[in-house]
Amino acid sequence: MPVKEMKPRERVLAALAGRPVDRPPVCNPTNVATVELMDLVGANFPDACRDVELNARLAATGYTELGFDSIAPYFSIIQESSALGCEMQWEGKDNWPTVRMGNPIWKRADDVRIPAGFLEHRDTKCITGSIRMLKEAYGKDVAIIGKTMGPWTLAYHVFGVQQFLLMSIDDPAETMRALHKLKEISVLYGQAQIDAGADALTFPDHATGDLVSGEYYRRFLLEIHQEMKDRLKVPLILHICGNTLDRMPYIAQTGMAAFHFDSRNDPAKAVAAVHGKIPLAGNINNPTTLYARGPEEVRAEVYKCLEAGVQIIAPECAIPLKTKLENLLEIPAAVKDWAAERMTSN
Amino acid sequence: MPIMNEGLLREYEFVTRPGERKHIGEALERADALMQQVAYSLITGAHLEVDRLVKEALGNGYAANTVLDDGLLAGMAIVGVKFRDNIIFVPEVLISARAMKAGMAHIEPILSASGIPPVGTVVMGTVKGDLHDIGKNLCIMMLRGAGFVVHDLGVDTSPAKFVAAVQQHGAQLVGMSALLTTTMPNMGRTISAFEEAGLRDEVRIMVGGAPVTQEFADEMGADGYGENAVECVDKARELLKLLKELQAAKR
Repeated sequence: MPVKEMKPRERVLAALAGRPVDRPPVCNPTNVATVELMDLVGANFPDACRDVELNARLAATGYTELGFDSIAPYFSIIQESSALGCEMQWEGKDNWPTVRMGNPIWKRADDVRIPAGFLEHRDTKCITGSIRMLKEAYGKDVAIIGKTMGPWTLAYHVFGVQQFLLMSIDDPAETMRALHKLKEISVLYGQAQIDAGADALTFPDHATGDLVSGEYYRRFLLEIHQEMKDRLKVPLILHICGNTLDRMPYIAQTGMAAFHFDSRNDPAKAVAAVHGKIPLAGNINNPTTLYARGPEEVRAEVYKCLEAGVQIIAPECAIPLKTKLENLLEIPAAVKDWAAERMTSN
Repeated sequence: MPIMNEGLLREYEFVTRPGERKHIGEALERADALMQQVAYSLITGAHLEVDRLVKEALGNGYAANTVLDDGLLAGMAIVGVKFRDNIIFVPEVLISARAMKAGMAHIEPILSASGIPPVGTVVMGTVKGDLHDIGKNLCIMMLRGAGFVVHDLGVDTSPAKFVAAVQQHGAQLVGMSALLTTTMPNMGRTISAFEEAGLRDEVRIMVGGAPVTQEFADEMGADGYGENAVECVDKARELLKLLKELQAAKR
């Protein structure tokens, strides 16, 4: 029986719960803000990553201008790390703020501590404040998706990528201790966003196949991710960039609400790998398709994902800031056309 | 001599492509027992052992080039194959790189003092806006091991900095790395900067990094793409040869 037309929020939450939808939602578990959108609403990077009002104004464009079913105010992956005291590079309008991981702040698990006032820091507060504003303005209709970094990603920032990966092989027990301490930051900031009104949280934890094995994921992260699902009581969207096919069977055991995956994983193979145990979100290619091609190619990728059975359509990761709007607009347009063609005929 | 070191023999079984098996097999068979031990210790990331063995070899009169080629690079070739084939991942490569560095600390001063001209000069950096450098550093280590002089520009390298470094060092090759899909377009901007500076024909530009593909490299107008640090060295040699042929033809 066809599902009656849903509001965007209802659609997103139904898909994340594995319930029937009127059409697959178009989501942004990671950022879709662009320079064009910044110009349109007068909210530029890096200020829009640090100022509540500018952040909310830019984030809202994901719904008001692009027609996505969700709004995601956390544009990058740096808010917690900035509040922890990492050295930052704020960049300009057309580049991403980033953590200077070459100058890490900690060396060992014992160094990990949550600073007093962590949630009151300008950069953590920016997102929680923005979520409150967005919830007030759009929350009845549109899903508000927050984001809290997982312990693996936080470890890259606070220990440095190379140092942390060396620690993982030199001293696995110390690595586990560090991850268990860091996960408390994930919970603290995730809960703050839930309290502010987030309907769901993206949970980036970059144990990517470009760096570590699927076995690493099982060994270091699977149980922690299962614990996160139990402690953060909104749908969690796990995000890991790069090749992840080898760890998808483990990811399917996390109990998280969805896995947001990269275009380097074929959608049909990804659907097969998770055996229906976790909905998939993704995986429109950023650097080639969204950035450098046109709407026709975007449409073809959207259709490919939908035909494969991907439940939530989204760019694979945070998009290049000079991505053309016409390409982003094509994503919801293609999803609607696909649904009109396929879902009514079923 | 045949491969006598049992651990090394097991590692060699990971090399399955016929051409590579022949090439690496010949290198390992050229190595004596001590060099085979160096190679195996490097593969397993035993940096203190590599440090000790290289010192011992040099002290016993082994030529620095022999230790480099038959011990360190022979081991690194297997590490490269295992990494490419997803048998090992970056942490395992990093411990081998640490072992390589331990060995190179003894070898580099000898090679530098020998006055042997470098194979070529390379300028390497991670592109603007990107602070990731593991892949770039592995490439630099392999290029240096293969006899290139490499000027490391570090991370977050602007197009202007790449151009200035090529002018300053007279480099024939440029290597650019990016880990983020958001910063990959800066590779194209850097290539444009070389065009604007009138230097595009003077250098060959290689790109790499986890999200970079051959297709993307072609679209950006790069001359070469390498999937990993071993391919980076092969590509550098190939591009340098082509550049020299082209420059000779022009003369």
